[in-house]
Amino acid sequence: MAISRRNFLKCAALTAGGAVLAESPFVRAGAKAVIKKDIRYVPSFCEMCFWRCGLIAKVEGDRLVKLDGNPLHPQSRGRLCAKGQSGMGLLYDKDRLKTPLIRTGKRGDGKYRKASWNEAYSYIAEKLTAIRKKYGPESVALFAHGSGGAYMGNFMEAWGSPNHSHPSYAQCLGAREVAFTLTFGQGPASTAERYDMANSRVMALFGSHLGENMHNSHIQDFVDGLGNGTKLIVIDPRYSTAATKSSMWLPIKPGTDIALILAWINIVIKENWYDHDYIAKYAIGFKELKEAVKNYTPEWAAKKTDLPKHQIVEAIRELGRYKPNVLVHPGRHYSWYGDDTQRGRGLAILNALLGTWGRKGGIWLPPKVNLAKLKKKIKYPKPKRDSLAYGDYPFSSAGITTEVRQATISGKPYPIKAWFVIGTNLMKTMPAPEITKKAIDNLDLVVNIDLMPTDMVMMSDVILPAASYLERHDDLAVVTQKNAGIAIRQPVVKPWKDVKPAWLIANELCAKMGLGKYIEYKTLEEHMREKAKLWNIDYDKLSRVGYIPIPDSYHPYITEKNQPKFDTDSKKIELYSSALDDEDMDPVPRYTHHREPPAGSFRLIYGRSPVQTFSRSINNKWLWELKNDNAVWLNADIARQMGIKNGDKISLINEKGGKSNVGRVKVTERIRKDCVYLIHGFGSTSKRMTMAYGRGIDDTQMMTHYATDPICGTNGLRVNFVKLLKES
Amino acid sequence: MKHYAMVIDQSRCVGCMACIAACVQENQVPFENFRTRVLEITKGKFPELRTEFRPELCNHCDNAPCVMACPTGASYKREDGIVMIDRDKCVGCKACIAACPYDARYINEEYGFADKCTFCLHRLKKDLEPACVATCIGKSRIFGDLSDRDSEVSRLLAENESRVRLKAAGTKPRVFYIKRYPTKK
Amino acid sequence: MEFTITGANALTYPHLHIWDWRVAIYLFLGGLAGGCMSMAAVANLRPGKDVPKNQACCWRVPMMTPIILAVGMGFLFLDLQVKEHMYRFYMTLQPLSPMSWGSWILVLVFPAMIAFALSTVPESAMDNLKDGMIRNLIIKAQNSMRPLAKLNFLLGILLSIYTGILLSSFMARPLWNSSILPVLFLNSGMSTGAATMILMARRNSIKLFFTKVDIWLIFSEITVLVLLYYGQFTSPEASRESIMPFFTLTSQYFPYFISILTLSIVLPLAIILKFLELSGDHSENLELTFKQKFEMNASAVLVLLGGAIIRFALVYAGQLSKFTGLS
Ligand SMILES: Nc1nc2c(c(=O)[nH]1)N[C@H]1C(S)=C(S)[C@@H](COP(=O)(O)OP(=O)(O)OC[C@H]3O[C@@H](n4cnc5c(=O)[nH]c(N)nc54)[C@H](O)[C@@H]3O)O[C@H]1N2
Ligand SMILES: Nc1nc2c(c(=O)[nH]1)N[C@H]1C(S)=C(S)[C@@H](COP(=O)(O)OP(=O)(O)OC[C@H]3O[C@@H](n4cnc5c(=O)[nH]c(N)nc54)[C@H](O)[C@@H]3O)O[C@H]1N2
Ligand code: SF4
Ligand code: SF4
Ligand code: SF4
Ligand code: SF4
Ligand code: SF4
Ligand SMILES: [Mo]
Repeated sequence: MAISRRNFLKCAALTAGGAVLAESPFVRAGAKAVIKKDIRYVPSFCEMCFWRCGLIAKVEGDRLVKLDGNPLHPQSRGRLCAKGQSGMGLLYDKDRLKTPLIRTGKRGDGKYRKASWNEAYSYIAEKLTAIRKKYGPESVALFAHGSGGAYMGNFMEAWGSPNHSHPSYAQCLGAREVAFTLTFGQGPASTAERYDMANSRVMALFGSHLGENMHNSHIQDFVDGLGNGTKLIVIDPRYSTAATKSSMWLPIKPGTDIALILAWINIVIKENWYDHDYIAKYAIGFKELKEAVKNYTPEWAAKKTDLPKHQIVEAIRELGRYKPNVLVHPGRHYSWYGDDTQRGRGLAILNALLGTWGRKGGIWLPPKVNLAKLKKKIKYPKPKRDSLAYGDYPFSSAGITTEVRQATISGKPYPIKAWFVIGTNLMKTMPAPEITKKAIDNLDLVVNIDLMPTDMVMMSDVILPAASYLERHDDLAVVTQKNAGIAIRQPVVKPWKDVKPAWLIANELCAKMGLGKYIEYKTLEEHMREKAKLWNIDYDKLSRVGYIPIPDSYHPYITEKNQPKFDTDSKKIELYSSALDDEDMDPVPRYTHHREPPAGSFRLIYGRSPVQTFSRSINNKWLWELKNDNAVWLNADIARQMGIKNGDKISLINEKGGKSNVGRVKVTERIRKDCVYLIHGFGSTSKRMTMAYGRGIDDTQMMTHYATDPICGTNGLRVNFVKLLKES
Repeated sequence: MKHYAMVIDQSRCVGCMACIAACVQENQVPFENFRTRVLEITKGKFPELRTEFRPELCNHCDNAPCVMACPTGASYKREDGIVMIDRDKCVGCKACIAACPYDARYINEEYGFADKCTFCLHRLKKDLEPACVATCIGKSRIFGDLSDRDSEVSRLLAENESRVRLKAAGTKPRVFYIKRYPTKK
Repeated sequence: MEFTITGANALTYPHLHIWDWRVAIYLFLGGLAGGCMSMAAVANLRPGKDVPKNQACCWRVPMMTPIILAVGMGFLFLDLQVKEHMYRFYMTLQPLSPMSWGSWILVLVFPAMIAFALSTVPESAMDNLKDGMIRNLIIKAQNSMRPLAKLNFLLGILLSIYTGILLSSFMARPLWNSSILPVLFLNSGMSTGAATMILMARRNSIKLFFTKVDIWLIFSEITVLVLLYYGQFTSPEASRESIMPFFTLTSQYFPYFISILTLSIVLPLAIILKFLELSGDHSENLELTFKQKFEMNASAVLVLLGGAIIRFALVYAGQLSKFTGLS
């Protein structure tokens, strides 16, 4: 007999007498009407995630009251997703970092003292100087994600360390960019991703849980496509949101995507579905490809993937029928099984065969932007030692977080003694957090520039509170959708008292370390104005409207005049990659078998909630009320066998026996029997995150393993098995 | 006279909840109170499944039991069809909440009055679409005037089979649902 | 079927819980007040019998009635979320809102109740009253005792029915949305009224009279209660499901199961006790033995208890039920 808790409270309050009357709607509502302040609308762009949608902030007095999409900005088109709508939850989060903090207790036990900025800088300076003396400047590494990374990158350059690393590479889309670059000479990334979904006739998604993966205009395009009648094929072990919109759902056995892709390539060639002229004109290596895939029959793939043969065949024929106005969506999060570059190569080859690159409904060509570069007024010193962040991989194209972590532990090729971390919650972001802890134990200094007291922040020695995206400038953004344009980020409200934007922190650190000559500008805005001037853009107008398009930049499709350029060695699409061959790697993808969960275990797969961004937004009050827990998806038949009911309490056990938080189970028909699914980002261990602390299960904690991609060094994260434990 | 209505094209809803978040911010809905929600309903057995995303809000019923139940006249129906609540008249007796078969109402926990979706009347007055419609990522929510035959809502209802929630309740909702499933292969 | 919901209000999801014990008590006291009005009227109007003036039940009960109702309304007031807008009830009459006409009925009932109470003040009590307005009022009222009693009889019925209509008007809540519910509440209100008369009465004959009345009332209360469940059970799905909490043995529904169990003990027990009373020796002037008194009062308390349980069970269980039908 549930009695409303709230009614009880109200009733209790009533007995407290006058207090209630003083709070009466008359008084308060009346007061509100009187204080109505001046209202301003300030354009900027969002950074609740990395899509960077144009926004318009409604500001009342000095308080932000509403965020809306900027209709001019092509990433938002007047709309903001739930995360973007809830930006004030971050801005006004009572748990936000408010002053610099210096660690007083042991690492990880959460004891800090408040410090002034100068104290914090001095602390850092002292440690850095000692490290430089003993190990050299290269022994300092940077982990960065988001806008602030660039400025800290500048600091690192000034300081003399080449060791920058980014989770957006090794834990995210690195393998895709490498695979497509090997094939087309260029990745599909832009500010957006260059998929012409609104115009696709048929589209296949491998994983890519669009809808749950919520990147604003990307999903708008996706749904516009559905509205226009795109036939959707979804390959996912889980009946994802996207799968619910599909005409074909292929519940593939996790880890066998390459088998399906190879069989598809084989069918496309055998059954003549490929775009002959296109391949003849733009591609090389067709013969070798044909030869290499000839044994990957649908029957073989059916066995490997656990999919019906007719489905495999029918799906690719559907794509073939409508080529080239089709898309094999390349996906974004790539770090799956350690052979991810090869999976990416397979997807790239399929797109090439179907002729989608530069075609309507396929992958559009980047807009033409000719913007002059500002003359660098400064020249950074050249580090004495090479970066160790790229690891020993022939094609790694950005700093790998796990390589830096490994070097920190092994001291090889040279020691790493300090970490600067900005905008990434490494304890949740890198697999095997136990290893991360071990690495941190080896450090003399951990500096974190963040907004929230996250798990990683609470492992740091010095915490520098950053200004949020709503309180700061960031450099002018060149937005490259089909059209290109310039967008501005500017403060919509004054920053909290003692927080600073990353550019200022970087500059002040330079000054503190005696590197003043590397400071490029006094204020970022001055630099932005200079750039705008160079680009012939009216800065004041830009700050009023938020986005100014670059004329004549629209050239999405191949025409006689608009020919694609392929920046590969052969200047052609490389179906057969001689670059890979040169490194003794498979020039055409090959199927590799991945280990499978033993009886009683499940493969751990994971994904996104549309209302949360990784672990970064889970303390946001307005998103918390939409999602504050991540139930484990478990197949209904298995649940029945195990005697588990929907909503039961369970915990997960990883392969090293580590136990997760107690969480809930979602018993569902929507997932295969051999895996369980979790939304990433939950299970904060930081007590200072009062809304998020201890809620939900942390997928990262369950990842004791990761598979390293031999081509580019990215991490495969879906190679972990878990057991389910019933809790009471 | 305007005849406001909303059409929800469920085939375009991806359950992204942007509508809920926008509504909460636009209308300063108190923490853990909501004027709109999204249901996700799955039927079938693996791998033969169907999932429906269904955004719900006040239906602005033409035959509104909440208005009938209200003892003070705080709940009323406007000529343009919008069902509103006059906060200064509301005693917070909750009869309207009990009366609404759609559970569209709640008590504003800050002030005590009954509250619910207003079709964002304050925005309509400024010629803006409701906040949830304006931000709907799937363009699944469409708002407009049924008395205008050329409006998108009229067109959609003319061209598609539509449903209302709990038709049997006889409340005559003004929120219409178009449900199209992809044809399966 | 799998089901997830984002953005539900705790007040209405997973089920309604807008009203709690405050409203249950209000409905109980409202019904009791109605029952007392009618039963006290009956006591004062007993056809063919001399009016038993000076009898405690005949004038104290009418005196208590306005207080019972006021206390009941106090509980309703406690439930209002914007108490300082209370006056809004009386700025309008909403013909389609039972709560609105309820608020007016309550107001209209008070003068009638008070006038009736005044009209029943016995001579003995008058002796202590000084001359003045009140005395004059009482004398005036006493002259119209019979019409006032008749009026109170009717208004009592109306009041009791109203407490049921308040709930039964909600189409959205299948358990409440039954035309039997007002009859049940009327019945239960009357039986609690009669029980109050028994408790308050001093004279044997009156106790016995109301015991007989109460037997009929409880019989019909049980019948109506069974009919309510039967009616729900034979109605469409949502209505059928609405009574399931009473017949499902899980921890969640335990209170409802217990309420039915208690009712099925309490009410028959009350009847049995009453038959026991009737079977005793009750010549007019005989003093009641302790045992007899105990039996009579105990059965009356059981009836009151039953009435309260019915209100509580239905207020809470009704909020578990949902209109489903086409979705
Ligand atoms: N709301 C929200 N949106 C986001 C983000 C966010 O944090 N929040 N993050 C953004 C970022 S940076 C990224 S990288 C993207 C990531 O989003 P995506 O690129 O869409 O990520 P994927 O890993 O491709 O997709 C996860 C899906 O893969 C399925 N899956 C698991 N294993 C396999 C398998 O072996 N084979 C196949 N075919 N499918 C499998 C899972 O069931 C799940 O549905 O999301 C972006 N969008
Ligand atoms: N187990 C597991 N690991 C994963 C993934 C997964 O799905 N599962 N996904 C991978 C993918 S695709 C990606 S892209 C990465 C993402 O990895 P991260 O970028 O590390 O993601 P978050 O966990 O959101 O951490 C972001 C941090 O930035 C802080 N922050 C937010 N805004 C600002 C700001 O304006 N300034 C500063 N200075 N800090 C800010 C937040 O408080 C938070 O601490 O994770 C990867 N790792
Ligand atoms: S997709 Fe959403 S969170 Fe990401 S930038 Fe756009 S509005 Fe912000
Ligand atoms: S949906 Fe509910 S609150 Fe809205 S008009 Fe209809 S009955 Fe009233
Ligand atoms: S809570 Fe307010 S709006 Fe609802 S019925 Fe009562 S007075 Fe009317
Ligand atoms: S119309 Fe306005 S009030 Fe109604 S659900 Fe949408 S945003 Fe909320
Ligand atoms: S914003 Fe639109 S697409 Fe997203 S959940 Fe709401 S109705 Fe569906
Ligand atoms: Mo990512």
